[in-house]
Amino acid sequence: MSGRAILDVADLWVGFPSYRQATQHALRGIDMRIAPGEMIGLVGESGSGKTTLARAVMGLVPPPGVIERGHVLFGGRNLAALGDEERRKVLGRELAMVIPNPRAELNPVQTVGRQISNIAFYHLGATRKEADRIALDMLRAVRIPDPERRFAAYPHELSGGMAQRVVIAIALVCSPKLVISDDATSGLDVTVQAQVLDLLQTMVREKGAATLFITRDIAITAHFCTRIAVIYAGEIVEIAETRSFFARPRHPYSIMLLAAFSHNPALRAKWTRSEESRRATAAGGCAFAARCVRRQPRCEQEAPPLRPSATGHEVRCHFPVEAAA
Amino acid sequence: MTAMLDVQNLVKRFPLAGTGKVVQAVNGVSFTIARGETLSLVGESGSGKTTVGRCILGLIDATAGDIEFDGKRMGRGRDIRSKVLRGRIQLVFQEPAESLDPRIRVGETLAEPLRHLGIGRADREKRAREVAEHLGLPARALDQFPPELSAGLQQRVGIGRAIITRPELVILDEPTSALDPTARAEIVDLLIRLQAEFGTAYLLITHDLSTVRFVSHRVAVLYLGTIVEEAPSEALFARPLHPYSVGLLASVLLPDPTLTHTSALRLEGEIPSPIDLPPGCPLAGRCPFADTRCHAERPAPVAVGPQHFVSCFHHQKIAALDSTIDNFARFQEESTKLLSVGAG
Amino acid sequence: MHLLRYIGRRILFVIPQLFGIILVSFFLVKLIPGDPAVMMLGPTASEESLHDLRDKMGFTKPLISQFVRYLHDVVRGDLGTSWQTTQPVTEDLFQRFPATLELITFGLLLAIAIGFPLGIAAARLKRGPVRKFADYYGLLAGAMPDFWLALVLIYVFYTKLNWIPAPLGRIDMAVVPPPTVTGSLVIDSLLAGDLDALSSSFGHLILPVLTLGLINAGPILKMTQSTVERTLASDFVRYAEMCGLPRRVVLRQAIRAALPSIVTIVSVLYGFLIGGAVLVEIVFSWGGAGQYAVQGVLNADVNPVLGFVVFSAVLSLIIYLLVDLLYFALDPRMRG
Repeated sequence: MSGRAILDVADLWVGFPSYRQATQHALRGIDMRIAPGEMIGLVGESGSGKTTLARAVMGLVPPPGVIERGHVLFGGRNLAALGDEERRKVLGRELAMVIPNPRAELNPVQTVGRQISNIAFYHLGATRKEADRIALDMLRAVRIPDPERRFAAYPHELSGGMAQRVVIAIALVCSPKLVISDDATSGLDVTVQAQVLDLLQTMVREKGAATLFITRDIAITAHFCTRIAVIYAGEIVEIAETRSFFARPRHPYSIMLLAAFSHNPALRAKWTRSEESRRATAAGGCAFAARCVRRQPRCEQEAPPLRPSATGHEVRCHFPVEAAA
Repeated sequence: MTAMLDVQNLVKRFPLAGTGKVVQAVNGVSFTIARGETLSLVGESGSGKTTVGRCILGLIDATAGDIEFDGKRMGRGRDIRSKVLRGRIQLVFQEPAESLDPRIRVGETLAEPLRHLGIGRADREKRAREVAEHLGLPARALDQFPPELSAGLQQRVGIGRAIITRPELVILDEPTSALDPTARAEIVDLLIRLQAEFGTAYLLITHDLSTVRFVSHRVAVLYLGTIVEEAPSEALFARPLHPYSVGLLASVLLPDPTLTHTSALRLEGEIPSPIDLPPGCPLAGRCPFADTRCHAERPAPVAVGPQHFVSCFHHQKIAALDSTIDNFARFQEESTKLLSVGAG
Repeated sequence: MHLLRYIGRRILFVIPQLFGIILVSFFLVKLIPGDPAVMMLGPTASEESLHDLRDKMGFTKPLISQFVRYLHDVVRGDLGTSWQTTQPVTEDLFQRFPATLELITFGLLLAIAIGFPLGIAAARLKRGPVRKFADYYGLLAGAMPDFWLALVLIYVFYTKLNWIPAPLGRIDMAVVPPPTVTGSLVIDSLLAGDLDALSSSFGHLILPVLTLGLINAGPILKMTQSTVERTLASDFVRYAEMCGLPRRVVLRQAIRAALPSIVTIVSVLYGFLIGGAVLVEIVFSWGGAGQYAVQGVLNADVNPVLGFVVFSAVLSLIIYLLVDLLYFALDPRMRG
């Protein structure tokens, strides 16, 4: 890609050491580059490491987690290595996060208008009056009905959808270069989700922000992202341009994720191993081998690297599914 | 043939203490479920669907309306626990981690309902083992504690506990909302298998439309405590005729970038509060087709096809819109092609 | 507006609460051993005169009717007479309560001034000398008896160093007290501009306040520390950090969220100290209400004891009402 990547993750390993057991690795060698303005989707289920990746990008891996290997560079800077004060100038301003469950994470004793205004006040050096005006503009931009009145509302007085819009406003008020959206629409009703996603897409395009769109729902990424990455057990197992990915996914896990939407139980069963046959594999083999319907002896002995393939996908598999149907 | 479950004009209001206002959660819901059939009650938050489920189970008392199970009228409250009904209607909860006692072994939890039917220990254990097989649970899971299992397996235990009494009706309240997509699909497959095996009827209460499509024979769409459309599953997904159903289905995203949610009909705003509803159609405030009649009068259900009812004065206009959401069918064709290749 | 309605409802509710308190206290107090008639007339009195006196004081009637009569009097504002002071209890209490209130209010203020900032520092700093000091202080303050600390302080500052005047009462006997405005000698001296009275009353106040303050700082410190620690780990603080808000702003928000719990414990302490400061009052001959009530118990003088209960019950209920109102101000979630 041309130009400097806004986010450069190289061979990132994050582990959580514990006293008597082996270190648990949440991330095992993640490589990812995001160009300015690009919208990349990261799909994974719970435990895949996607939230740890989001925090690692922000330099906020919670203890006892440590970055064991590799680096994360945001705009050329390693946020984890910065001092607290330096880092907090970047967070919320150039790198912002859109969180799920906003009513639990917004400050319950402050009005939402004030919370948006705080970002402008502390990051942009605006006076309180200017910051309040900016906050009101943002409330309008995220299409909250009756914004003047809602400025003085408290988080618990808003519906889930409206609180989500407030969080989007907080993330975008400083026109950040990268927005990380972590499962931002889970728990929302489907019509509200559609509205919120449209809004998010419109606004990041307007502001020219790159987006790392983390989700459990692969269907969302089909409509909002230019590239898709699938993460399993701390590794990226497939990464490709959206159209190419959905035309023909190549990793068995990606296909399993798509099979979940099919109405054909027989086909779904073809791609799913029964509980009994999911035996644990010894370390050293492919992490997905235990659940893979296509596994061969080689898969259990040798972990496959992430390799480019003929169709432009990068796949982590010894026997990726054939390109032509 | 008499339906197994017959709900007529169910109404539930919750008075708000100290303010004199009333939450009109359920406003005249009627439907039937035949033996071995799956009816999905679909709605967003505030639609009243969970309240309907609770009323049927007798967990809360309805304000008005009749519920008949197997031809016999269910009274206010206590009947679900009465000897004659015990074990015939069961419930599966949304959060498996919270509905399973973490200190009781899985095997015991599965067998617990049988204790209340007076079945002896040896028989209970046998049936628990049988059920575990049907559920696809590994044998050793019976001796484990719920927190040791994944969320998907926990939910299987929840379902197992419900069907072990061979109920005629199982009410499932958002059974897959807390699960990852792959686990969701597995649970759906399990439910279909169990229904084929035991002939259990399901009342599936959910807002997850992708799940609904697989497993339902019929779907009822609920909005602010009223059923706005009821139809066989394929009919609803292929050709929804109520503006809310159209808007709802248009919001469902499929994993195919070429299938965008095209719809001439956009629902603005959010679902209003169910307190002190105005007269007229519940969607009138948000519907682009609403006119004075819609604001004043509640539309009654009108038959528009076999077992297909719509409560809308303008359903013909909707039918004329080219807003076919055939996306679902098209996606099925493509995904079938995609998935047929390459499995081991 | 429904805030006034709420206050009105609470005040109305005080009446049944008071009734319950008086009921229980009355019957408990009647269980106290000791015969007031004997106390009053001395051990050589004749049986006849004892019986006459008991009759006159109403002690020979059945308990229920005694209770009813007492209730009847309380409603009219008459708390009876103390046979020790021969004054109406109401008057005695009005004389003594300001002393207690002055003592515990300043004591609690000092306790907050010590405990609150230490608690916050302990919550922020996981290691280091400040944290260690706070941990030990919390432990010690909880273990120390207040009268013991009082005696130690007197020994050090009066007996040895002679920095403090003799611990007898609230003010030197030779000094004229200032005109009563608030009931607090220190504040009233300040208001009157009377420097003699001020230095005397302040000198007498400082040790008992120090005693109460040092000891009660312990629980306040602990409560502040644990609540602030919890809020610093909460979701919204994490989110505030992710938004890059400055450290001190985040800390302020966390403390603000922790305030309701801290306010609760301060109010509970306050209610407790009304009677709980009695040992300190006795050591310093403070002439407070707690001391008065204890005299009543020791001498089987029932009316002061009951009168004290009524007064402190009313005071506690007012404090709790004020605290609840403070909650309304602090936490918008309660207003909905």
